[in-house]
Amino acid sequence: MGRYVIRRLLQAVLTFGVVMFLLHYLMSLAIQINGNPVRTFFGDKPVSPELLAATKAKFGLDDPCLSRVGDPCLNLFGKRMSDWASFDFGTNFNRADVSELILNAIPKTLQLFLIVTIVWVLFGITAGVLAAMRRGRFLDYLVRIGTTLTIAIPGFLLLILTQKIIGVWLGNWAREEFGRDSVLGIMFQPSYNARYPWLTLLVPGIVLGIFGIAGITRLSRTSMLENLRADFVRTAKAKGLRQRRVTIVHTLRNSLIPVITLIGFTLADALGGSVITEGIYGIPGMGKLAYDAVKKVDTPVIIAVTAILSVSYMLVNLLIDLLYAVLDPRIRYE
Amino acid sequence: MSDANVQVTAAVVPKTQKTRSLWSDAFHDLRKRPTVVISALVILVMLLIGFFPGLFNFQGQNPKACDLALTRGGMSGSHWFGFDEFGCDYYAQAIYGAGPSIQLAIIVVTATLLIGGLFGVLAGFYGGWVDAIFSRAVDVFNSIPFLLGAMLLLTMFRDWKIPGLGTRFQAIIPAAITLIIFSWTGTMRLIRASVIESRGLDYVQAARSLGASDRRIMFRHILPNAMAPVVSLIPLSIAGMITAEASLSFLGLGVRPPEITWGMMISTGAGYFTTGYPRLLLVPSAFLIITILAFVLLGDAIRDALDPKLR
Amino acid sequence: MSDVKIKSEILPDADPTATLLRVEDLRVEFHTRDGIAKAVNGASFSVESGETLAIVGESGSGKSVTSQAIMGILESPPARIAGGEVLFHNVDLLKLGKERARRVRGNHVAMVFQDALSALNPVWTVGFQLSELFRQHRGMSKKDAMARSLELLDLVKIPAAAQRLKEYPHQFSGGMRQRVMIAMALALDPDLLIADEPTTALDVTVQAQIMRLLKEIQIERHMGLILITHDLGVVADVADKISVMYAGRIVEQAPVLETFATPAHPYTKALLKSIPRLDTKGQRLEIIKGLPPVLTNLPPGCNFAPRCAYAQEICTRELPVLATVAADRAAACHFSSEVIQDV
Repeated sequence: MGRYVIRRLLQAVLTFGVVMFLLHYLMSLAIQINGNPVRTFFGDKPVSPELLAATKAKFGLDDPCLSRVGDPCLNLFGKRMSDWASFDFGTNFNRADVSELILNAIPKTLQLFLIVTIVWVLFGITAGVLAAMRRGRFLDYLVRIGTTLTIAIPGFLLLILTQKIIGVWLGNWAREEFGRDSVLGIMFQPSYNARYPWLTLLVPGIVLGIFGIAGITRLSRTSMLENLRADFVRTAKAKGLRQRRVTIVHTLRNSLIPVITLIGFTLADALGGSVITEGIYGIPGMGKLAYDAVKKVDTPVIIAVTAILSVSYMLVNLLIDLLYAVLDPRIRYE
Repeated sequence: MSDANVQVTAAVVPKTQKTRSLWSDAFHDLRKRPTVVISALVILVMLLIGFFPGLFNFQGQNPKACDLALTRGGMSGSHWFGFDEFGCDYYAQAIYGAGPSIQLAIIVVTATLLIGGLFGVLAGFYGGWVDAIFSRAVDVFNSIPFLLGAMLLLTMFRDWKIPGLGTRFQAIIPAAITLIIFSWTGTMRLIRASVIESRGLDYVQAARSLGASDRRIMFRHILPNAMAPVVSLIPLSIAGMITAEASLSFLGLGVRPPEITWGMMISTGAGYFTTGYPRLLLVPSAFLIITILAFVLLGDAIRDALDPKLR
Repeated sequence: MSDVKIKSEILPDADPTATLLRVEDLRVEFHTRDGIAKAVNGASFSVESGETLAIVGESGSGKSVTSQAIMGILESPPARIAGGEVLFHNVDLLKLGKERARRVRGNHVAMVFQDALSALNPVWTVGFQLSELFRQHRGMSKKDAMARSLELLDLVKIPAAAQRLKEYPHQFSGGMRQRVMIAMALALDPDLLIADEPTTALDVTVQAQIMRLLKEIQIERHMGLILITHDLGVVADVADKISVMYAGRIVEQAPVLETFATPAHPYTKALLKSIPRLDTKGQRLEIIKGLPPVLTNLPPGCNFAPRCAYAQEICTRELPVLATVAADRAAACHFSSEVIQDV
């Protein structure tokens, strides 16, 4: 087990370093190609070279490498990394402290992803497992049609449609029928409401969860089908174990191992999807920050959000790989 | 599969029966299924719309000749889907909106196959440090969530113009490059895995012992077999790219104006859904969903036909 | 509660004086896309306590399907038991309810599978997989169940058993893994053990050790043993009697020594000629020409006829039934008397 863990950790460190460098290089490259963003502060107004230089210096954008296209600006890399390591992402061009923006946004995104994870496990895995056990019957077809539809309807479109149909139409009906403060009236809202954080997060959370659910459901199904016909399941039956024990202890336990890895990968899609979800529903999380930043071409915020979400994603997948070794003894003793 | 079943199927399949290849077997299987036939027809129509929108512009409306007086005007015989907020003919917009997304998807998938295929063959064939470098590169690109990375790139370079390209390509290429950057890894990993598998096969060893060059072994002997799993995923990849482009367009980052795409139409149409003009959202949504659904259904069917054991 | 008492409660109607296992006219079909495959077409045989029956045949002859039908673990669909009886101490196992049939497995009839690596669950320790039998069937505590599992590993002569209980199947060698499989089958002291090609996946030297172990335990516990194999060499050493299967039918049934000396069916004869022997050193081994028939489309007449050296016109027309050819001996061949005499 030790060797596997060490190798995986080394890989993670290497990947982390390269990703960070790429982000740094991109930032430098964008300035080199598009011109120094400081200039846009002054709009069309004429500006003296001294003021321009002073402003550049203030934002740390005065290094000569920033005017050489393709220069990786290695001298700035170390400084940026130590800033990022102390959670200092500088200020954006509205002079707001990016770190503070992000710190305020993290809890909402975590809440949203808690719902997403529950949806994946509760609906995704269960649907796949049940479909495998009722293979070729009604439920199996229903699950297959369902997963196909969730692949065929782009996530952002599903969000818009649910926002309009559930949030507005169904919500208006519920608010009229049961009153403004009824549970349904609050739950079916077209946008996030800070007074009822969990209730109003529920619908967008479930829809975001549907983004990646098809893969999880289908893998649960195939993995379960594969194991159901495995020799060791036949052995378990020959041992005279109860059907429920054969299914749960000797089939499900084995089938979940690849699914857990896939959940890690699916997180990437959902993190991207959170930008659209939080943007459409106005949830004040990391995704909303990025959504607004895209509209305002606020590069420092996008970089910071991308960096943090990428690192979280890497961490989650590292943890899952280590968990994998716990779940699958064949890896542990490699 | 239980041992007993293997034995039975082995005995059931008559050895004398004309042996068909995996692909032609799959094709025979597919041809008989209605979902496949319908999906293929829909895809054909959508490809025609995408490349020759003029053929389907039955009323000869110009999607860019707009009259603000006609804003959000209703449907009529010569304007099947009415007008959008700027008074442009909505049917013509929907028809001309197919091209950029579909062309972009095809460009991206082709490039992904070429790049991912080449890297996959090199990594799988040579192994060792070549493999290590490519595999770490895959790790790096997979560590950045796709939509976030695409947003970052496209925002940073949103004003960047590639010199010497026509309007259509100028509109498509930045998004295409971004999508390629984040999607070649999937193809590469698939190809690498199947190259490693076929590297040890007897016929490859035989070719090697006959003195075939590395390049010949790679591209004449290994690649054709290793491509199969990837080729069968082409329709699903196209569906994925159309989805991705629409999502980016919705954020204003996909295909650039003045080209029209369904994603942009959905983005603006969404605002009018609850104010009495649901058609402005539903028309492009329907086009988009039907196209993606057709590719997904065909792709699922092909994959199942080539790997029928888990259908 | 004692093991014996628990076991007698599962099958209260069992008659201990009756034959341990008698299979009568068993028929199993598989419903496939290409039609119905008749995997077993009326197999009949019996085993007494302490006796070893070898069921011999090629792949696809229906021997594994027969054993799984007795165990009641056929996948259905696609499999369907189309007829026949499996009488265990005169109780038809095919007519038991689900729950009772489940409890028979392990307690009365147990099975050793061919490839222990795939037949053991890779994600649980050997100790877990052994002790769950005691926990589920006997309601023992974890500790007691582990203690019993340890005894079992000692019984099948696995060294350092206490340590090995904590290990996973992939950490065992092939022979040791097969010993674990045997231990698992013996756990609840079954009356009948079915071993489906128990040594096929093993090295020749290990094969002999495993067969010896099986035989020892069988004699010690006075169990019935059904040995499914395609290897006639193994049969000669351990079996008392032999049933040869071809295309889902039993074509010859006899005590082992007689069969080896004077086979009564051309197929048995051909099988015997295809094993390497010391006294035929230097001679070319004979192979059986042709392929087994397609089970979805069995022609009328004798299924072996197309490959048979003795075949006459009648063989393609009329299906030979299993008929007595001598004391204790039966064969399904129109010309069995000639085959016996022809050495």
